[in-house]
Amino acid sequence: MTVKIVTDSVCDFPHGVAKELGISVVPLNVRFGDEVYRDGIDMTAEEFYRRLQYDKILPVTSVPTPATFAEIYDKVAEETDEILAIMLTSKLSGTYQVAVQSVGLMKRKCRVEVIDSGLAVMAQGMVVITAARAAQAGASFDEVMDITRRNLKRADMRAAFDTLEYLRRGGRIGAAQAFLGSVLKINPIIMLKDGVVQPAGKERSWSKIIDYLTRFVTSHSCIEEMAIEDAMCPDDAELLAERVSPHFPKERIFRSKTGPVIGTHTGPHTLVVSVLGDK
Amino acid sequence: MKKINTANGQDLREMFAAATTWLEKNAVDIDALNVFPVPDGDTGTNMLLTMRSVIDEAYRAPDRSASAVSQAMAKGALMGARGNSGVILSQIYRGLAEGLADKESFSGKDLATALLQSSILAYKGLSQPVEGTILTVIKDTAAAAQSQAGGAQNDLISVIEASVDAASESVANTPKLLAVLRDAGVVDAGGQGLYTILEGALHYLKGEMEQIQLRKPQIIVSDVHPTKLPEMIADEEVPYGYCTEFMLKGEKLNPDKIRAKLEKKGESLIVVGDESTVRIHIHTLEPGNVIRYVTSLGTMHRVNIRNMDEQHQDYVEMQKERMPEIDVAIVAVASGDGLAEVFKSLGAAAIVPGGQTMNPSTKDIFQAVETVPSDKFIILPNNKNIVATAQQVQSLTEKKIKVVPTETIPQGVATLLAFDYEADFETNARLMNQAKATVKSVEITRATRSTKIGGLDIKKKQAIGLLDGKLIAAGKDPTDVLNQVLAKLNLDEAEVITIYYGANTKPEEAKAASTQIQAQHPQLQIEVVHGGQPHYNYIVSVE
Repeated sequence: MTVKIVTDSVCDFPHGVAKELGISVVPLNVRFGDEVYRDGIDMTAEEFYRRLQYDKILPVTSVPTPATFAEIYDKVAEETDEILAIMLTSKLSGTYQVAVQSVGLMKRKCRVEVIDSGLAVMAQGMVVITAARAAQAGASFDEVMDITRRNLKRADMRAAFDTLEYLRRGGRIGAAQAFLGSVLKINPIIMLKDGVVQPAGKERSWSKIIDYLTRFVTSHSCIEEMAIEDAMCPDDAELLAERVSPHFPKERIFRSKTGPVIGTHTGPHTLVVSVLGDK
Repeated sequence: MKKINTANGQDLREMFAAATTWLEKNAVDIDALNVFPVPDGDTGTNMLLTMRSVIDEAYRAPDRSASAVSQAMAKGALMGARGNSGVILSQIYRGLAEGLADKESFSGKDLATALLQSSILAYKGLSQPVEGTILTVIKDTAAAAQSQAGGAQNDLISVIEASVDAASESVANTPKLLAVLRDAGVVDAGGQGLYTILEGALHYLKGEMEQIQLRKPQIIVSDVHPTKLPEMIADEEVPYGYCTEFMLKGEKLNPDKIRAKLEKKGESLIVVGDESTVRIHIHTLEPGNVIRYVTSLGTMHRVNIRNMDEQHQDYVEMQKERMPEIDVAIVAVASGDGLAEVFKSLGAAAIVPGGQTMNPSTKDIFQAVETVPSDKFIILPNNKNIVATAQQVQSLTEKKIKVVPTETIPQGVATLLAFDYEADFETNARLMNQAKATVKSVEITRATRSTKIGGLDIKKKQAIGLLDGKLIAAGKDPTDVLNQVLAKLNLDEAEVITIYYGANTKPEEAKAASTQIQAQHPQLQIEVVHGGQPHYNYIVSVE
């Protein structure tokens, strides 16, 4: 039986990818007041950013319930007896904890291993994709685990924002706190390192951000997969895709929108590039 | 409620004797508040010692009239004044004495009048009064006393009660007025001391001697939270040289003239006193010059000269233990509070004050390097004339030093922005070096002499404009010259313009200049920032 992969909605997969590769996605929740929406299911990114900018109530995010997890595990277990769950960094979310606990609530008998990716967004997504491809190709559980562990070390990302206000408000700012209080208006660029947000760079205009992100991409000697996602700045995303195309075929770049849960913490006008490869 | 309509000199003395006892109980706590003007932590002790001298002298008053006792107290304060806060306290007592002159006893109204005089003299004693200090507290206190005395409930206790309340509020407000306090998350120590003294006096008048015996004064807590770790403060107010304090005795001394003369010889200058006795406090690199000057006017007494670098060193050592190790630390040279803040907020670990006409020495930069807990340093001299000085620092230290030879402030900012948090020391130095070329620097200043350069006929004091260090424009006013220089650049290709306006330039002027540029180039992102730099009306970066 094929190994099945479970992950969470912060991967911000491009449309159709999860279905094609048989990946089950557990949605985190985003809540405006008492209205709860499941990430990537009940609310589109466009609708979310419209509300983020104009709604008086600021959204908050929450982890999936154990019941949601158990239900999805059980459903997946109908087709397999080995599940690998790859979750977003446990340092920024309790999702990993819930994913681990929920295994005990399953009705079906099935081996479930839960991995803390230490990542989020498509950096995590690409690791999940490569795991799912290996599984589809018939790799054993241990082989899929190996590939996943190896790729977790090869996945890296950079995210550039207009403001760190959303990250600060959600309490996920970490060492990027250093960017706050800048007298000059700067566009902060952050990375995930050891599972937490770290400062990576600062620029004073979006064209310089594109330069920075291009340098980040080209600093890799070998790129296996690449993803660009944006929140309300498709033009910048397109420009970046053009700029890096000499190093990686543009049509192979995963393109997606930063979803509501990540968007709650990054705000509108966010550009994220993730690379799976070697420096 | 207890009412006292008038009090005599004996009451005055006992009021402040009780206040001294009260102050003694939290002098150490007040010491801990001290962050301004120099981090040497002794404001409470200085005020207490000053108060003791006040009371000692009060017992020597020739009679028990309010006039005689207040005169004696003023004399005691002047003789015993220690530190900045002690000297200001002595002005406050001198104001009281002037206000109570010829009075056998005094009412609430008299006290209010005297406090007003105290406030006026306190401000007068300082060459550059700073708000958010004991000065603001005495000003607010005097105002509250005035307004209470003008009302129906104007007995002595009511007036002092109003004063104490106002002082408390004023102290709590000091962090809002003074950035160093806000940054450290403390109230002003001198202000707190004054509040404690007034509160002690009030306890005495209300007959609450038990309170004084059994309880302890409270340090006022501000609701302003610290924005930075305290270690960032050390280089904001740069102590240097010798803290020189003494009393000058002579005939027909003129404090205003002495102040004017000493103004350029150092910092934190305080000159207070009268024709026969003047107390002087100054932080100077060359106490000899000060002494040479004053001994031509009279005789020196109670001379106290302390090496502030030593004091500062102790402070720095203490702070070091609390500071986390920095991998690669950046030291930037900049003058102007605004520019210093810009560099700090972008991650510079230390700022060495200096720039055009105020080039820091190699030792100055070396000392900054020594205070930061890191082994690897990148120095941004931000001025053509400081590059060589910065390069000498390596010969003084085992630490690894790289100088990115920035010649202007905009270059310095651009290189700082290029700092890569992940890259190693060498890579960062290289990246920052490359970033230097990404920015154009425009500087607008005034000509120091008449000259002819590159076809430009320049008159002394005329506004002139430099582009990357080359003089290319002159004109009637700084804004006009700024526009001339910018016209020579291809702004259609630029993205971000940052205008740092100087200490002598009004924010409105800078805003107006920005609006004008924006109208012509709507695509530009223009930012107007307070630089506070001397000499230069505008420093502008074009990216």
